[in-house]
Amino acid sequence: MDYLILSATLIAIGIYGLLTKRHLLKVLISLELVAVAATMNFVLLSSPFNPLGESLLILAFSTDTCITAIILALMFTCSKKYRTCDLNEIAKFEQQETCIRDGGKEENTEAN
Amino acid sequence: MIMELIAVVLIISACLAIYLDEAIYSVVSLAFVFAMIIILYALSGASHAAIFQIAIGTGTLVALFLTGEMFSEAPKRKKQSKKILGVAALALLISLPSILLSIEVTPVVSASNVSFAEALWALRSADVVLQGLVIVAVAIGIAIILYEKTRRVED
Repeated sequence: MDYLILSATLIAIGIYGLLTKRHLLKVLISLELVAVAATMNFVLLSSPFNPLGESLLILAFSTDTCITAIILALMFTCSKKYRTCDLNEIAKFEQQETCIRDGGKEENTEAN
Repeated sequence: MIMELIAVVLIISACLAIYLDEAIYSVVSLAFVFAMIIILYALSGASHAAIFQIAIGTGTLVALFLTGEMFSEAPKRKKQSKKILGVAALALLISLPSILLSIEVTPVVSASNVSFAEALWALRSADVVLQGLVIVAVAIGIAIILYEKTRRVED
């Protein structure tokens, strides 16, 4: 069995999820898959007699945890603000807010 | 043989984690992915990596379960079993190259007398300290984002 191809397959599945799914939780799961595939190489391709690969794995784990925490915080903030986790709907709300803000500014300049 | 079986289950669970509509089921599939990865690490002799993966994976899954419960909508009563079986068959097909094909890689097989603790604390001590700082910075940043949000809601 080839771990490089296994890792590449997992990365491909993760990238497919990132490109096609619009829900923030699915985006997070896709990112987790990409991270798992990347960290897998540190362990499975390193020599069992050399623990440097395993010690390097901790760097990948900390990065992975930070990404998860940031996306969870973003998800929480978005769900509180827009009442949805769908990226398309969030983009629509953002556009509407920008239009309202710009319209208000134009009205103010016309009144002045 | 068991490694190949684990690889197939890993790919199928990863595909289902992406494909399934309900958040909870996706998280359960991701749990399977983590379990397979842990078994793969343990069978490869990387016990430290397996233990770290258990710790990180458990934390991630708990957070994802909670958020999945929070954000999952009312379940749609659609018959999806045929589609799910199709995705599983496709995943099985996708997993075949990793079992049958191989890429020529020449790994660095240098037996060193360095233990895991030495590799971590003697060779990479600066890295480990800097990672700690990064995690603290991220935690403070997230706390500030959430605090700002609650303050704005209160105003």
